[in-house]
Amino acid sequence: MAHWLPVSLLMALISLDVSAVGQFMFSRPIVIGPLVGWICGVPQIGLELGALIELIWIADVAVGAHLPMDLSVLAGISVAFACELSQGRSPVPTEALMTFALGVSIPLAALATEGEILLRKFHVRWIHFAQRMILGSHFQTFEWINSIVVGELLLKGFLTAVAGLTLAHWSTPLWNLLPVTVIQGFYYAHWLLLALGCSAVIDLLVERKSVIYLLLAIATVMSLALFSPIQGVYLVSLALFAGFVLTLVYVGRGETA
Amino acid sequence: MSPEEKTMSPLSFLELVLTFWRSFFLQVVWNFERYMSYGIAYCLLPVLKKTYPVPEERALALARHMEYFNTHPYMASFVLGAVSRMEETKQQLPKPKQKQAEEEISALKVGMMGPLAAMGDSLFWATIRPYCGLIAVTLVLSHAFQVKGQHWIIPLLFLLVYNTAHVGIRLMGFLQGYRHGDQVVLSLRRYGFQDAIRGLKLASILLLGVLIVFVNVSEIEREVGLFILKFVFFTALVGLFTFALHRKISPSQLFYAVLLFGLVLAFWPQLSAAPAIAPPGGH
Repeated sequence: MAHWLPVSLLMALISLDVSAVGQFMFSRPIVIGPLVGWICGVPQIGLELGALIELIWIADVAVGAHLPMDLSVLAGISVAFACELSQGRSPVPTEALMTFALGVSIPLAALATEGEILLRKFHVRWIHFAQRMILGSHFQTFEWINSIVVGELLLKGFLTAVAGLTLAHWSTPLWNLLPVTVIQGFYYAHWLLLALGCSAVIDLLVERKSVIYLLLAIATVMSLALFSPIQGVYLVSLALFAGFVLTLVYVGRGETA
Repeated sequence: MSPEEKTMSPLSFLELVLTFWRSFFLQVVWNFERYMSYGIAYCLLPVLKKTYPVPEERALALARHMEYFNTHPYMASFVLGAVSRMEETKQQLPKPKQKQAEEEISALKVGMMGPLAAMGDSLFWATIRPYCGLIAVTLVLSHAFQVKGQHWIIPLLFLLVYNTAHVGIRLMGFLQGYRHGDQVVLSLRRYGFQDAIRGLKLASILLLGVLIVFVNVSEIEREVGLFILKFVFFTALVGLFTFALHRKISPSQLFYAVLLFGLVLAFWPQLSAAPAIAPPGGH
């Protein structure tokens, strides 16, 4: 993998954003995907794969002590791997290699999450050490723990990325061995994955009461797409504007109640 | 805040800025024993340095904040602001009343972390982030801004929209917490978070409608009959997957099920023979 070092460094830096520092959502697949794609020279793959991962795992939430799968690792490795595959055997539809790359990267991301859990367990020792430093009035050392752990997390992010990218790279020969029918299967699976993504959003947002709004939205958008020249980004803008008005109406109603 | 209150305040603007800045590092030493305890103590250190000039007293105050604490990382700024104010006020009380003030601080943290976590999870993790994600994904599927050199626009838009809400609410929470102290709970109700959640969920549903059409719409240009057939198939699949997700089957497990299903479709003799079955949305 030609770009393993810059990709690993980027993934290490962004791994901090997952939960430790800021949580500005740089670690979301829709952001890390295009960034890794840009480093590897194929931003289009990064954007499309990032969007797909964002959609499928949109409801994966860290609630309480639950740590969901590390999506930054999933997006980083799968995009870098898909970019590598796109340079190889041809002609292969991009959708097929994105699906394959994602299939290889999911177990690696799950392993990375296990590593994160182990590290969080280890952090208990830092807490006990911090407690001792407080009782001894060593406030400077107490503050340093924060920087040391940031360094530790950076290192963990870097090592995870290097290990993940290496393991993904080792599965390249498997891709080259796959018969055309299997690749066609991956191509179909990509479209089915979009259905899975839509289901994830429905599961998260749509309640029994709001099904009617979804049906109305689909009917309206389909009519506009079929019978009017309004297309693409303008439809999204229209939906955004309608959503904005709806939110204002709801917030306004709450204030008067 | 009146000018009299300002002169009473031993905390300077710099300490408040430092505390707010440190709130971005709240979860660095997050762990399975005391969760955000170190984070809260680390954030409050600039405040405690000022309010407890004697190191032994500061150590005791810091040790108090090392107790179990876990809430939503963004909404914790409400607690941080309120505790900063309460620590400041506590030092102006006579010694016998200070013990009670300490208990009140601890009670505020324990009392607020649950409701704030629930509110933060449903506002940010279950509403604002999916909404921003949906905007980005819908734009990607609509093939907007995908000319060479414009790929950065969609992620940037996602970050901009999300972080306007994120940093805005964080900052507002800290300032309101500092302003109201232990009364911050009462001020929380005024912000209409629940109504915003309802409105944003409906807005997300509208976007989902656009998304579902975009996934299928390229077929319209080819043949309406085929489009309708595939749209019905797509809808049935969405229903099936939604049911599976509702039954707590994880998206990762479903991913491999989908992969298997794709392979079955590819090996299906009639389907693999016909080139017209290329999935909608494909390039």
